[in-house]
Amino acid sequence: MPERLITDIGGLPAEAIPKEEVPQLFWEKHMIAMFNVLRSKGIFNTDEFRRAVEATPLEEYKKSRFYDRRTDGMTDLLVEKGIIDRGELTSRTQEVLRQGLLRHATP
Amino acid sequence: MSHEHDHDHDHNDADTHPAQEDNDLTLTPGEAKFIALREMLIEKGIITAEEVRRRLEFNDSATPHQGARMVARAWVDPEYKIRMLADGKKAAIELGIDVVEAEIMVIENTVNIHNLVVCTLCSCYPRSLLGEPPAWYISKAYRSRAVREPRAVMQEFGLTFPRDVEVRVHDSNADLRYLILPMRPAGTQQLSESELANLVSRDCLVGMALPGTN
Amino acid sequence: MQPRNHRILAAGEVVRIRDIGKAGHVRTPQYVRNKVGLIDCYVGLFENPEERAYGHIGCEPIPLYRVRLRQNDLWPDYIGSDCDTLVLEIYDHWLETVNSLEEPQ
Repeated sequence: MPERLITDIGGLPAEAIPKEEVPQLFWEKHMIAMFNVLRSKGIFNTDEFRRAVEATPLEEYKKSRFYDRRTDGMTDLLVEKGIIDRGELTSRTQEVLRQGLLRHATP
Repeated sequence: MSHEHDHDHDHNDADTHPAQEDNDLTLTPGEAKFIALREMLIEKGIITAEEVRRRLEFNDSATPHQGARMVARAWVDPEYKIRMLADGKKAAIELGIDVVEAEIMVIENTVNIHNLVVCTLCSCYPRSLLGEPPAWYISKAYRSRAVREPRAVMQEFGLTFPRDVEVRVHDSNADLRYLILPMRPAGTQQLSESELANLVSRDCLVGMALPGTN
Repeated sequence: MQPRNHRILAAGEVVRIRDIGKAGHVRTPQYVRNKVGLIDCYVGLFENPEERAYGHIGCEPIPLYRVRLRQNDLWPDYIGSDCDTLVLEIYDHWLETVNSLEEPQ
């Protein structure tokens, strides 16, 4: 039988449920909206997205945050479909980070 | 960046993190990646900033109060309740609530059955009706334990039921999204419909709280 | 996977959720595989997520059911009430009827 999907965690042992309210950050809301738009336009569908998340290595999935999984799953699909180049995304992400640090280093 | 904290349960690697102030001071790798991705997609003409902005506004208009309004209406109007149990999406639209999920199934709590909703496989939730789910609902701990030990889980949230009340768990694993219709609390006959809606919290609508008690 | 192409199952029918040994994207959790329950209701016809996940959209929709199971049957160590149940959505091709005079479908 095929192995259990990493997302198929119903019934597995787990600890106390974290109850603190965690407000959504603005970028997270913005990212969800972008995800919704891509899906509405048929760039990818929900099932493809879930399949992309299921391909995450198990250890990475366990440590992952919900919103990062969304971004990563979206990215994987867009790369798979040839819509974006992963190398370009990586270097542009570095550029954004660098600019962010510079901006905040300025008094 | 999220600071270290030494809780010994696993929520620091799950889907929750300490409440952060909005992100003026630090740019996380996740946010940077999103900013870069968005720029690239707009440049390529795949999406426009306006489309995203419009969807953001639409998403923001969804709140648990929309579900609470439906519950309050069902409590005062038996015909509406029948329609709501038959087709939750249509019943929402009837109240002017713009729902985009394919189907919403309303599940009624009774004296014999208490219902609880979970999505073990991901985080399915009627978002265009209620907004974003609470962090606990999307946590891996809830997704794993709610199906296996629902009574222990509910007890952690202060809810217990006698053994002769059936606890029925709904795993939202496919095309349906669920809304729980709680029982109307006793002693509320004098309340107006909007006062009734104020008794119904977000957590009541997935079965993790009872109205009026929060 | 072909649709089962049989009659629509009625509420109350006893069914087994088969483990069809399918690799890749599926929406039938491990914890209900090879378990017996009953049809809670027929939900309707929906496109198969196992196809959609690989970009095959617009395929013929298949029947989806809500299936109700006893918690005592799902978990050997279940701590709760004997009357507790769990309901989830299962696509037609994962189901077979049991306790019937016909062959398992």
